Amino acid sequence: MERNTMSYKSKQFLMFAGPALVLFCMVIIIPFLYGLYLTFTSWDGVSADKPFVGIANYISAFKDAYFWASMGRTIVYSAFAVVFVNAVAFALAYLVTSGIKGQNFFRAGFFIPNLIGGIVLGYVWKFVFNRAFVAIGEAVVAGTVPSLLSSTGGAMFCLVLVSVWQYAGYMMLIYVAGFMGVSDSLKEAAMIDGCTPAQAMRNVTIPLMRTSFVTCIFLSITRCFVVYDVNLSLTKGEPFNSSVLAAMHVYNKAFIYKDYGTGQAEALILFIVCAIIGIAQVYIGKKGEVQA
Amino acid sequence: MKRCITKGLVLAALLIMAMCVLSACGESAEEGNTGSSNGITIFNSKMEIQDQMLQMAERYTEKTGVPVEVYYSSDTVSAHLATKYASNNPYTLSMVDAKDVYSLAEEHAVDLSDQKWVGDTQYAIEIGGKTYGFPVCIEARGVIYNKDAIEKTTGRKFKPEDYRTNKAFAKLLKDLKKGGMESPTGVMKEDWSLGAHFLAQVYEERDDPDAFVRGLSDGSVKLMKDKKFNALMDTFDLLMNNSYSKASAISAEREVTEQKLAEGEIAFLFGGNWDWSVLSAYDYTENMGLMPVPQDLDDGMNQKLVGGGSKYFFIDSSSNTSDEQRQQAKDFLNWLVYEEEGQSFLVDDCALVPAFSNITKKVVDPLGASVKVYADKGALIPNYNYLPDDHYAILGAMFQKYLAGKSDRKGLAKDVTTYWKTKTLKPHEN
Amino acid sequence: MNVNDKAARQKRTRQIITIIVLIVVFLLFVIPFLLVLINVFKIKGDITSNPLALIGEHGFTLQNFPDAMAKMDFWNVFKNSAIITFCATVLTILFSAMASFVIVRNQNWKACSLLFALMIASMVIPFQVLMVPLVSVYGGIFHILNSRITLILMHTGFSVSMATFMFHGAIHSNIPLELEEAALIDGCSRWQTFWKIVFPLLKPTVATVAIIDAMAFWNDYLLPSLVLGDKDLYTIPIATQAFYGTYSTDIGLVMAALLLAMLPILILYLFLQKHIVAGVTAGAVKG
Repeated sequence: MERNTMSYKSKQFLMFAGPALVLFCMVIIIPFLYGLYLTFTSWDGVSADKPFVGIANYISAFKDAYFWASMGRTIVYSAFAVVFVNAVAFALAYLVTSGIKGQNFFRAGFFIPNLIGGIVLGYVWKFVFNRAFVAIGEAVVAGTVPSLLSSTGGAMFCLVLVSVWQYAGYMMLIYVAGFMGVSDSLKEAAMIDGCTPAQAMRNVTIPLMRTSFVTCIFLSITRCFVVYDVNLSLTKGEPFNSSVLAAMHVYNKAFIYKDYGTGQAEALILFIVCAIIGIAQVYIGKKGEVQA
Repeated sequence: MKRCITKGLVLAALLIMAMCVLSACGESAEEGNTGSSNGITIFNSKMEIQDQMLQMAERYTEKTGVPVEVYYSSDTVSAHLATKYASNNPYTLSMVDAKDVYSLAEEHAVDLSDQKWVGDTQYAIEIGGKTYGFPVCIEARGVIYNKDAIEKTTGRKFKPEDYRTNKAFAKLLKDLKKGGMESPTGVMKEDWSLGAHFLAQVYEERDDPDAFVRGLSDGSVKLMKDKKFNALMDTFDLLMNNSYSKASAISAEREVTEQKLAEGEIAFLFGGNWDWSVLSAYDYTENMGLMPVPQDLDDGMNQKLVGGGSKYFFIDSSSNTSDEQRQQAKDFLNWLVYEEEGQSFLVDDCALVPAFSNITKKVVDPLGASVKVYADKGALIPNYNYLPDDHYAILGAMFQKYLAGKSDRKGLAKDVTTYWKTKTLKPHEN
Repeated sequence: MNVNDKAARQKRTRQIITIIVLIVVFLLFVIPFLLVLINVFKIKGDITSNPLALIGEHGFTLQNFPDAMAKMDFWNVFKNSAIITFCATVLTILFSAMASFVIVRNQNWKACSLLFALMIASMVIPFQVLMVPLVSVYGGIFHILNSRITLILMHTGFSVSMATFMFHGAIHSNIPLELEEAALIDGCSRWQTFWKIVFPLLKPTVATVAIIDAMAFWNDYLLPSLVLGDKDLYTIPIATQAFYGTYSTDIGLVMAALLLAMLPILILYLFLQKHIVAGVTAGAVKG
């Protein structure tokens, strides 16, 4: 068998990656390129003619102060959300793999938030923040207590909290798989060599779980950057548009303010920022990977 | 072990094939419908009548033999229609807001000028001499009151026309408080209520809204010196300062506010007759109504509600719709206006205020009845339908700031002025 | 007291503390879920006036369920959702496991690294960017919307990137190269090696990807709503969304619909949950 010829390589490649490649190109690459073309037109989203306007949309995107404000907010939100999501998920994964009774039950339980779809999730949390917490707060201080959602910082805090609640269970699954991939014998060997459990965790388990970390952090970054439905159903950008995150702004720009070209251009900028951060993180993460 | 795996794989492959065949089968059976030129599809953007629309479609099909499918989307109307047009799969009849008719009609709508109903309404949308939009109903806004609650608290008869001025209204609120109603009003914090409904009155309640908007845009209007702005804001302050949610105005939920109003815990709320669909879900009283926003100006505007046609049907003009379907759609619109059943659907089933002068059925809900009274005596100030698409969202947010106490009247005026300065006004029909 | 006793006791205390911590966190996690459960048995007015009450003023009602089921044509949309979710999940797993295998084992091939980089980059494209172009191309030009097969293939296309990414990690760190080499020496082709040796070892990841993607497909609203225009083809989320509105919301019905919608997925999860554990322990993949 000749393993270095072009034909062998392409046959192998197509045999394994062909189906995925075709579908991937059809639903992502082609529409993406077409969308890219639309950013150079002043299309309104419904009209038949799409007048070519060059880079005018990019210029107005760069001048759009609301867009950059939403971008800044998204970065702050993502930073907090990613750290807390992963910290909580890792801790939970550790606890539910420690061999206690009913760990399967807990694993299933922590995953439950993922079963509630976007919009209703927002409604339910709105209940919790606007009604339940307020009722509890009023009982404690015996006076009126404003809801967390009604202050600028509070609304962002709520968004982070709900994101942690929503994604931690999901990321926990990946960390669980990571923990289980590290065999007990390695840990035991480390303990016999005199490591404390904490040391074994730091020096053996965590380095071997690097892939899980890279995966989870990447997933949480990318999800946080393009979060839309929780934003819509929980805060709707309120109070006074102070919690509009980038994806929501892009959607509003394109469809509600009917400036499709600029919206699409802003979405592209969002994509590039997000891609740079995501890929940089994967690159750095993978570089130091432990080869076992 | 290995054999198990191969078996499993074969099984999986078989399953996939079976599934694909299954799903393909299901489709080929339905293929007939999609390509058919018989029957109409209706896009309904009024959530609260979706149930009634579905039932009506069944009855209509049974009676006329024309298949009718009603669709609703929780997506933004313009986004939803954009995807429908992009995929060459538009609805035969689409129900949209006035501004959507202006942006869509010339390219996508059929000229309906020759229809009989055009002569029976003053609310149809005409662009360049052609009628495109069929008005579904009349909606108007003002202050919703709960008469029972007011009379019970003050112990005397409540006549809305006694409270046209800010002063009289303020006195009534004081009396209500004295009578034990701690906070007699509610305020909706939604951006559409503040931006598109309340703030828009500043433009609408004058002789030439266009000139005023142009003045805002070129900077010649000084909002802080504008009488209308100040008069309306004075009343807004009354509503705001006496609100049950004063301490946390920004987290007041619409459902809760409406429930309090329906059950008489509060007496006043700025809103419109569409609020009835929410109010009626609670233990409501029939003795409610809409009154003009009280204000200290003698321009007569405090005797009128603001409103007019709301939601419009247009018929798709593209090649995706056949002439036969277009005719069926026109027949449907005529059925709504001229057949007893169609009228009854609009007025009784959906509780809408009809936009056609030939429909004389009694409007069932109390808010709608108020609107009908004002509409019949010509006391509706027309909606200004040419605001930019982002107006309600951006200025609604600025208004929320005011509501939250993060900004004062001067600040709000400045925000409004700044917003308009960045806008270039597009010419429009009148 | 001997040393063993002490150690055992320490271990038990630790376990108890762990369980207590877990229970507290668990409660925090399921509170919103419980709220759904409580409110599904109430009428709308009671939900708004007191969402926290166990039983509403107007009493306990089961009416939300038959209402929701009738309004959404439950059995039909359930069937649609099941077919679409199942097919798309299976295809995603097969295609992305295959793709990631060739990518991991041939990292020096340009096509592989390019595809992988593109896939990773694509994961951060906001869906709204692709929405209109997607329907323009497949509806406007090819007229293949309104079909379950189109939706299944699109779902697969959108999710292969992430699944490939996850399989990539798993193959990379958990499948020893020596095993494959041994199989190749035994005369297996690459294709056979993959299916007989590698794929079975990927069970835990398959289970993870299966549950995550099945969930995503089952709950997805935006893509199906764009692709499926015909009522007969509706999936559960599209049918449920008829209850959501800007001006009014019958939240009791929404909750009932939701509960109905998530039960099958919950069951699937509980079932696969076992496999994640079993797959890892039986595999003894690494050491």
